Amino acid sequence: MNKLRALGVLCALLLSSCQEPSKEKVSSDIENRDAVIVYEEYEKPEPTTPEGTEYYEPKVPVVGSALNGNVPSDAIVLFDGTSLEGWMHVQDSTAAKWHLNEDGSMTVADKTGNIRTKQEFGDVQLHIEWKSPLPVQRDGQNRGNSGVFLNGIYEVQVLDNNDNDTYVNGQVGAIYKQGPPLAMASAPTGEWNVYDIIYHAPEFNEEGGKIKSGTLTVFHNGVVIQDHTEIKGTTPYIGWPKNPAHGKGPLMLQDHGDDSRVSYRNIWVREL
Amino acid sequence: MKQFIYVFIVLFVLIGCQEKKSANLTKENDSNESLQPTKYKGTEPTTPEATELYQPVPPKVTLTKNNVPSDAIVLFDGSGLEEWVHVADSSAAQWYVQDDGSLLVKDKSGDIMTKRNFGSIQLHIEWKSPKDIINEGQSRANSGIFIQRRYEIQIMDSNDNPTYTNGQVGAVYKQSIPLAMASVPSGEWNTYDIIYEAPEFENEKLVQPAYVTVLHNGVLIQNHFEIEGPVKYIGWPSYEAHGKAPIQLQDHGDNSRVSYRNIWVREL
Repeated sequence: MNKLRALGVLCALLLSSCQEPSKEKVSSDIENRDAVIVYEEYEKPEPTTPEGTEYYEPKVPVVGSALNGNVPSDAIVLFDGTSLEGWMHVQDSTAAKWHLNEDGSMTVADKTGNIRTKQEFGDVQLHIEWKSPLPVQRDGQNRGNSGVFLNGIYEVQVLDNNDNDTYVNGQVGAIYKQGPPLAMASAPTGEWNVYDIIYHAPEFNEEGGKIKSGTLTVFHNGVVIQDHTEIKGTTPYIGWPKNPAHGKGPLMLQDHGDDSRVSYRNIWVREL
Repeated sequence: MKQFIYVFIVLFVLIGCQEKKSANLTKENDSNESLQPTKYKGTEPTTPEATELYQPVPPKVTLTKNNVPSDAIVLFDGSGLEEWVHVADSSAAQWYVQDDGSLLVKDKSGDIMTKRNFGSIQLHIEWKSPKDIINEGQSRANSGIFIQRRYEIQIMDSNDNPTYTNGQVGAVYKQSIPLAMASVPSGEWNTYDIIYEAPEFENEKLVQPAYVTVLHNGVLIQNHFEIEGPVKYIGWPSYEAHGKAPIQLQDHGDNSRVSYRNIWVREL
């Protein structure tokens, strides 16, 4: 009987020591929740006229439309079909040897290696159009595989996924091996797809530790497939994402080295 | 035998304890300066297959007529106004359905709203300010999209028509100046592609504000802007708790003659 009591007391002690930290956690959560969001600009006395909340500066830049093949006036054109001037091979910085086509597109030259922009960027809006080829060849990750690497290291997958299943975190529109897309919105094979991407670079402290994750929003043919998704690091084929400190980086396009025959056109960025 | 059971119970309680504690520890780590998602803290995989996921499978969405995604809820496609009612009295929407498949504001008939309620959405909407311009400033082709009936993305003819910047085309009205002015010429069709994340409330208190991202004719003009409360013509915005709510289109009552077409949403 004594043993039982002792056991009971012991268990009760253990349980209560267990629960204390979680109680603290709950109360701190409640405190956080109670921390009402305050907007400094609205701490001033509340205006009583409509004019009191009308601002005239700064002026908003007039940039025009990006519809129907137009390019906004503040965009940096990375490829408009005229040349590969703005691009070089990643491996040896030589002039990009991908094929320049008569229809204003470019096609991956197989096994020549990835190409990157000479310019480097941080936060951007990126518009890029891509096409997987007809006739289709092979299956899974070997069908029309390429990729758009933001900051040179974070890949948004390009793949012919039409009737061609693969792992979901490696399918078209995935943040490769991290973030499956919300939807599969590809055009039929052989037709042009559009990616409209909003990329925010991660931030690092002085010691090189990541203090704020990057984010990606992607519209694929007008359908939201990545919605302010947290980038958890680089997008390796094998292993976990890594978080090396970095500044601005190029836009990189992948040569998957298996006769992908993927084409690109109408590539521009707006720095944010 | 009984003693074994006692030992077992004690061990069980202890293990339960430690799991909670380690969970708390990782929680604390999250607030440290360097971020590393818990998921990637285990032994690093050495094969490509170890980081391949096969479930859940993202739904396939195809584009149908007018590039409407197959999983979208169509709110207006030119055929009728059965998805809409007047805000004032919930009567059938009297705005004009035009022969070209567009919808024209009927002046002074009042705002209209969807019969359906929405939370977080992707919204596609096209709009046009009339070619023959009348009036100036805020009175030139003024309308607006009120998401959840509270958060307005401004619509107006801002072509060569300056007004306050936090009230010009693409503004979150009186809260966020658009990053750019991307309108097409008056009389041509504009598109808005909007990603809206609804606010969250607990016990009537705001625990997560709303966010909005807007592409105007494909140009990013609102970049995950944190909405500060329902928009106000006079005074400061301030949140009030609410659930799902309709999308509302504004009749500014000054002969705006703004038209809409091809309106659809996808719930997020």
